[in-house]
Amino acid sequence: MTFSRPSIRLLLAAMLCCSSLLTSRVRAAEVDFAHDVIPLLQKHCARCHSNGTYKGSMSIDTREALLETGVVEPGDSSASYLIDLVTSDDPEMQMPPKGERLTEEEVDTLRHWIDADLQWEEGFSFKAETYQAPLKPRRPDLPATEAGVDNPLDQIIFHYWKERGIQPPAPISDAAFYRRSSLDLVGLLPSADEVDAFVADQSPDKRAALVHRLLDNQVAYADHWLTFWNDLLRNDYAGTGFIDGGRAQITSWLYDALLKNKPYDQFVRELISPTPESEGFAKGIIWRGQVNASQRPELQFSQNVGQVFLGVNLKCASCHDSFVDDWKLTDAYGLAAITSNEQLEIHRCDKPTGELAKAYFLFPELGSVDAAAPREERLKQLAAIMTSPDNGRLTRTVANRLWHRLMGRGIVHPVDSMGARPWNEDLLDQLAVHISDSGYDLKKTLELIATSQVYGLESAPWDESAPLEDFVFTGPSPKRMTAEQFVDSLAAIAGVAPDKTENDDVFVEPVKSLEGAGERPFVRASLIQSTPLMRTLGRPNREQVVTTRPGEVTTLEALELSNGEPLSDLLAAGGQKLAANFGDLSAEDLCRALVRSALSREPTAEELQLLAETAGQPLTPAGLSDVLWCIVMLPEFQLVR
Amino acid sequence: MNQNQLDRRRFLQATSAAALATMGMSAPRFAFGAAGETLVQPIPKADACILLWMAGGMAAPDTFDPKAYLPFEKGLPVERVMSTFPAINTAVDNIKITAGLENVAKVMDRGTLIRSHVQPDLGHILHSRHQYHWHTGYVPPQTVAAPHIGAWMSRVLGPSNPVMPAFIDIGQRLEGVGEKEELKAFHTAGFFGGEYGPFLLPYPQDAVGAVRPPKGMTPDRFEARYRHFRELVLRGPLGQHGSDHQQESMIRAMENAHRLLSSPDRAAFDISNEPKESYDKYNTGRFGQGCLLARRLVESGARFIEVTTEYVPFEGWDTHEEGHSRLEKMKQQIDRPIAQLILDLEERGMLDRTLVILASEFSRDMMIEGVPGSTAKDQSRAASDTLELPAHYGLHRHFTGGSSVLMFGGGVKKGFLYGETAAERPCLAIKDPISVTDLHATIFHAMGISPKTEFTIEKRPFYATEDGKGRVVDALFA
Repeated sequence: MTFSRPSIRLLLAAMLCCSSLLTSRVRAAEVDFAHDVIPLLQKHCARCHSNGTYKGSMSIDTREALLETGVVEPGDSSASYLIDLVTSDDPEMQMPPKGERLTEEEVDTLRHWIDADLQWEEGFSFKAETYQAPLKPRRPDLPATEAGVDNPLDQIIFHYWKERGIQPPAPISDAAFYRRSSLDLVGLLPSADEVDAFVADQSPDKRAALVHRLLDNQVAYADHWLTFWNDLLRNDYAGTGFIDGGRAQITSWLYDALLKNKPYDQFVRELISPTPESEGFAKGIIWRGQVNASQRPELQFSQNVGQVFLGVNLKCASCHDSFVDDWKLTDAYGLAAITSNEQLEIHRCDKPTGELAKAYFLFPELGSVDAAAPREERLKQLAAIMTSPDNGRLTRTVANRLWHRLMGRGIVHPVDSMGARPWNEDLLDQLAVHISDSGYDLKKTLELIATSQVYGLESAPWDESAPLEDFVFTGPSPKRMTAEQFVDSLAAIAGVAPDKTENDDVFVEPVKSLEGAGERPFVRASLIQSTPLMRTLGRPNREQVVTTRPGEVTTLEALELSNGEPLSDLLAAGGQKLAANFGDLSAEDLCRALVRSALSREPTAEELQLLAETAGQPLTPAGLSDVLWCIVMLPEFQLVR
Repeated sequence: MNQNQLDRRRFLQATSAAALATMGMSAPRFAFGAAGETLVQPIPKADACILLWMAGGMAAPDTFDPKAYLPFEKGLPVERVMSTFPAINTAVDNIKITAGLENVAKVMDRGTLIRSHVQPDLGHILHSRHQYHWHTGYVPPQTVAAPHIGAWMSRVLGPSNPVMPAFIDIGQRLEGVGEKEELKAFHTAGFFGGEYGPFLLPYPQDAVGAVRPPKGMTPDRFEARYRHFRELVLRGPLGQHGSDHQQESMIRAMENAHRLLSSPDRAAFDISNEPKESYDKYNTGRFGQGCLLARRLVESGARFIEVTTEYVPFEGWDTHEEGHSRLEKMKQQIDRPIAQLILDLEERGMLDRTLVILASEFSRDMMIEGVPGSTAKDQSRAASDTLELPAHYGLHRHFTGGSSVLMFGGGVKKGFLYGETAAERPCLAIKDPISVTDLHATIFHAMGISPKTEFTIEKRPFYATEDGKGRVVDALFA
């Protein structure tokens, strides 16, 4: 089973030529396999001699296959019959037999390539991948399972485990479940009192009830998922591009959409065929001056629409036909042409081809866009095709992202390679049809995942370095807290949080209109501009679409967390506050309370003793800030497990 | 104590600093270069690299590439002015530079002067885009976050001294200055991840603050806090989870950080420890102090250090008006410390193994924005056909057709002049033009990194120099 084309990942080549711009590139004599040779073979030879079609039993799939044909003599083009074939005037002999002949320049390229010993990227093959990700939605047949297993996700996974003889992990404690689900669904640590009440609750469906309660908290939900969507839609409150109006925020639109849980199909439609409030995503970032053709706003649109909604990477294909998957230059331009105000000339590797882009969608089988229609109409058509019930790729992609957020690893991994094979197709397809069945209500899907038995099992990390095809799902994986979760958690424990946001009208006013929504207990980190502390903890610049943040702590981060001013100042203020409010408690009592609220568990006697020693007696702001530091630096604190 | 805890303790105690520094770093893929050939990394000529960054566009004709000089004279047609400083002799017969750089002139026999560095116009000349281009080797925007040249050194070479951050950036604030978002965009390790990013020391005088306990915390308290944390980790439920790479990485990062924070090497960050006589030689302001700090850090095993005359729009070298008087001040800032840095490195026997580069995002000209024929918008703020006010006197337009670069150490030729710009306007590079890509290839080569070194991101290769096509300028090496 292969699904990542690891061989082709090795592909050398200046495929990144999108990056080259205006600077001197090219030394004429050098032949570059990926840029010069692959396209040439692709154009003239591959149709009849590769990927399953082997006229005259000749294959150019691999270097070995090509050598077997006997038509090339590595190191000596003059002795290579291939050159005779492509230069011959004899209609009986010449290759290709019909169609365009090779230009002199192309023949020279071939000669140089053969003379330079027929360089070939190891592992590269013209033979296409075998896995074809399905496009249409599919409703899997659910396996028969034991009584009491009602959640379809559980049914599928229990069956998967049974088939493989895998023993499911043990369920986590109620307290751990509260911490996990609260951080996952609304980004907040539960208070110790809330956890106590939950643990004491005897009702059998209390976990499901908790999940409902969390998801029903519209404000906390919106505040939390804003981070995820800001990363994904590269929306930020400051950043490059704003300096000269080359970029627009979609913050108020996005926040409103999350607050009201706008159905995902409508959400997508409004981003593709936007209103003035939501146009920032489609508009992209407009840089002053000349940019590489592959980075003009129309192609940013292609790349971002492809990546965010479909898990399709069009970055290669914005410059040339992709060598790592099947996307073509015309595909990227087809999508770009839908949004373009003018006729778009196709550029290959930043050079004009003279060819005009024709507007069409990546998956024409889902529907067509009328290239002659005005732009607004074309975008409407694209939005409709994208969200048509037949587009299972849209729902699979977002289902996989949500699963990844909650379970620590995608069913398809990485989450932006939705053409790759999922570790369980039934599971992905079930989640995807659940989204459309529930009217594209993403909260319902989060609920389905969070109320599954599997979600409530012990977590274990997966080995990211192991080969993808060997992955076996053995249970949920821990996630690293986002920068925003870290800052919010600190606020919850120590009562130190930013004062207000620069977007108060966006984040405060709409909340007031909600019935029954109380005020936020503190200003959430997602609502304010990035700070040095948050940058340290991995909040991205949002210049590019970000779908996965780094999972590991770096040395520079650790330095910043050890003595950097931003965190030190916060902790010092936290220590002050704790000393002022709880100075009359014993060190043990206060440390116990802090551990309970930070880790959602009781401290061990040993831990308590250590922390009390750190705090010192009598309690001082300094001692308490050190206690806070020791607790928030613990991996146990920084991981959602 | 259970078995896991024992293992954990042993792990924490037994792992040496050197081993830790390389853990978690997988080797770059050296197997294939841009033409499919096996890539062999060059033998390094230098162990450390100091980039002296003249942020804002340093005018070559007023610094290292003198042209015909005319003093200020009211009513003088501006097109007659090529340089606003007279030329002076240097320690090398055929090299003249401009007045105000007398100390650098004396050490010119230790290095190479390149006068033919060229940049693309990019349609609209902006410091942020050209600085991004120069520092990453890639023209923005990019579909992935491109790493800074220092991050490449950090990623491929790692630190020379495992307790030292491999990539240190001195003198540039990323907060509280104009175009800060644009600055952040390239002060980054990009897709390499934060481990390889810059250790930022915007104020050299406060650098020691980055490696000592937070303000208001005594060293004893700081140590005790860390000791308590370690004990908590050891005795907490961590052991129950067995081998867990996420947790291990967190603990390891804390270990590394505290190794630096408790290392004697951190004294290097404290420039107040420098003997007064030496300190005074450097102390021309933040840049001069930065040069001193860089020398101290290189002595302690830093790998890549950038020292910048801080970029603040329309300040420093960014002369859109008052160019002449501003450059007098800038030269005062850089002249002595740069010369002293070279002499100190030489005296310590370190110059041969330390590559020092001085560069800027582009040059300037009195008349021409970009290069002739460019559509770039004129950005002079003191536009006048004749010199009426002192504000008119200076090189106020961005010029991309020929700028100057200095290189010392790291196997670079001594007392050598490379490339040439025309004597008459337009002062384009007329001999041996050298692009950002090729200059980077040359720098990487000296450091033992092939310009074709690549890493895979999103299934695509990303090269140390654009498309792996950077060409080493062999003529620069002895």
